Amino acid sequence: MQLEHQFSVPVPVDRAWEVLLDVERVAPCMPGATVESVDGDSFTGQVKVKVGPITVSYAGKASFLEKDAAAHRAVVSAKGRETRGSGTAAATVTASMTADGDSTRVNVVTDLAITGRPAQFGRGVMNDVGNKLLGQFADCLADRLAGAGDARTPANGGGDAQASTRAAESAEAAESAEADVSAETAESAGDQPRAAESSDDSGRDREGPRESRPTPEAIDLLGVAGGSVAKRVAPIAVLIAVLVLIWWLVGRRRS
Amino acid sequence: MIPAEFSYLRPASVDDAVAALRERGDNAKVLAGGQSLIPLLRMRLAYPGLLVDVGRIDEMRGVRDDGDRLVIGAATTHDQVLRDPLVRTHCPVIAEVTATVADPAVRHRGTFGGSIAHADPAGDLPALALAIDAAMEIAGAGGRRTVGAEEFFVDYLQSVVGPDEVLVSVSVPKLGDGWGHRYEKFQSVAQSWALVGALAMVHRANGSIDEARVGLVNMGPTPLRARSVEQGLTGGDATAEAVAAAADQAPAGTSPTSDPHASADFRTHLARVLTRRAVIAAAGI
Repeated sequence: MQLEHQFSVPVPVDRAWEVLLDVERVAPCMPGATVESVDGDSFTGQVKVKVGPITVSYAGKASFLEKDAAAHRAVVSAKGRETRGSGTAAATVTASMTADGDSTRVNVVTDLAITGRPAQFGRGVMNDVGNKLLGQFADCLADRLAGAGDARTPANGGGDAQASTRAAESAEAAESAEADVSAETAESAGDQPRAAESSDDSGRDREGPRESRPTPEAIDLLGVAGGSVAKRVAPIAVLIAVLVLIWWLVGRRRS
Repeated sequence: MIPAEFSYLRPASVDDAVAALRERGDNAKVLAGGQSLIPLLRMRLAYPGLLVDVGRIDEMRGVRDDGDRLVIGAATTHDQVLRDPLVRTHCPVIAEVTATVADPAVRHRGTFGGSIAHADPAGDLPALALAIDAAMEIAGAGGRRTVGAEEFFVDYLQSVVGPDEVLVSVSVPKLGDGWGHRYEKFQSVAQSWALVGALAMVHRANGSIDEARVGLVNMGPTPLRARSVEQGLTGGDATAEAVAAAADQAPAGTSPTSDPHASADFRTHLARVLTRRAVIAAAGI
């Protein structure tokens, strides 16, 4: 699923670019997001999204796939697992900035794949939720940018402001990616209850034709998350296969 | 599909319920009929540590006459509401809308106040509350307050009811003579959520429309009033042409979403068509 969001920040594009790439600085602006560690272009963190009675939180990893300073374009890949469930979320977020006079327009395109129970609830609300989160994020960011600008002018040298600027930008990208992920979670849940359930079941207690027809959602996840999910799932699949084999052998002998 | 562990409390009074919620803060949730909350618990999309069941609080059940208004206890089930003689006499529009909520099993457990407090823009009752000008009585630690429907719905699944507050009752004005009403709801399959719904309440006098109210379901993150349509109808002739022209304004100020069930464009189209049908039927044209 692809989501698109736009917002503006009241600073020139070069400045916005620096800020938005600074994960630790930008993350606090994203409602419910925390960054735990930053290691070069990778960072880990959590996103908790609360919509009315619904709470979904993900813990995961994100990294920059691309930082094109000339084009002001950054691509972040984020993968997370539900902290209180078995669902997963994977997102590829592309943020691009364009100058608009003294301000900057930020366009965020999120390619999102969600599995698990959150994918079974909701209707087309993810865009609403995503827009709301991004709106809050952009407001907070604009405040910070304005504040940093003030500090920069008279006494405090540029160093501090610049550092924070850089942090802010990457945080934003990460945040928007993750927020979108959780938002979509809620939304897609409602949309495809059957598909999600059948994909859950197919590996465990169904055989034959069902297994051969994986749901679009499952394909999507593997497509986006790639090898890492497969690697994680593989040992479990082998274990289950062994257990089934033992059970089958034992059962046969008894009968 | 097994919920996470939670404690369960069934207080006998509103004060006890508020005290329990206050103690647990964000970790507690009010349980009424459970028709929205229980599925969320089972999917582990919500995991409160405490459920405060308000279903046995006498004050919150039943419908009573309060002069020129009716007061509907928040924990009154849909089925009780739609069969209630006071409702059928003074506010038959409530019975009409409530009868379309989900299916009979849900209507026997789901509650009038629960549906409104859940604030789902695709729900039938939030738009009804908006169109009929309901007033919600909310109890909290600081006492009670009454909030009009216009301020009650904040955002998707969010109302002004705080985590330590309880929606106690919903007060609605009795409708006098001359009011017609019709709820048009478009569903892709029976008993699913409305893709879009339009509720029209029309008051006619001397062949023209002197007051009109239109509530829209699922045309944004909250239920909406189609104010442009209402203005277009008020004072106008009660003719099919005049209604159709006014109903064309139904999408003004809405923000429908696109999802696998319907595109935003389709929802916009539905809003016009359903509004026109509902107003024509409500006006008896």
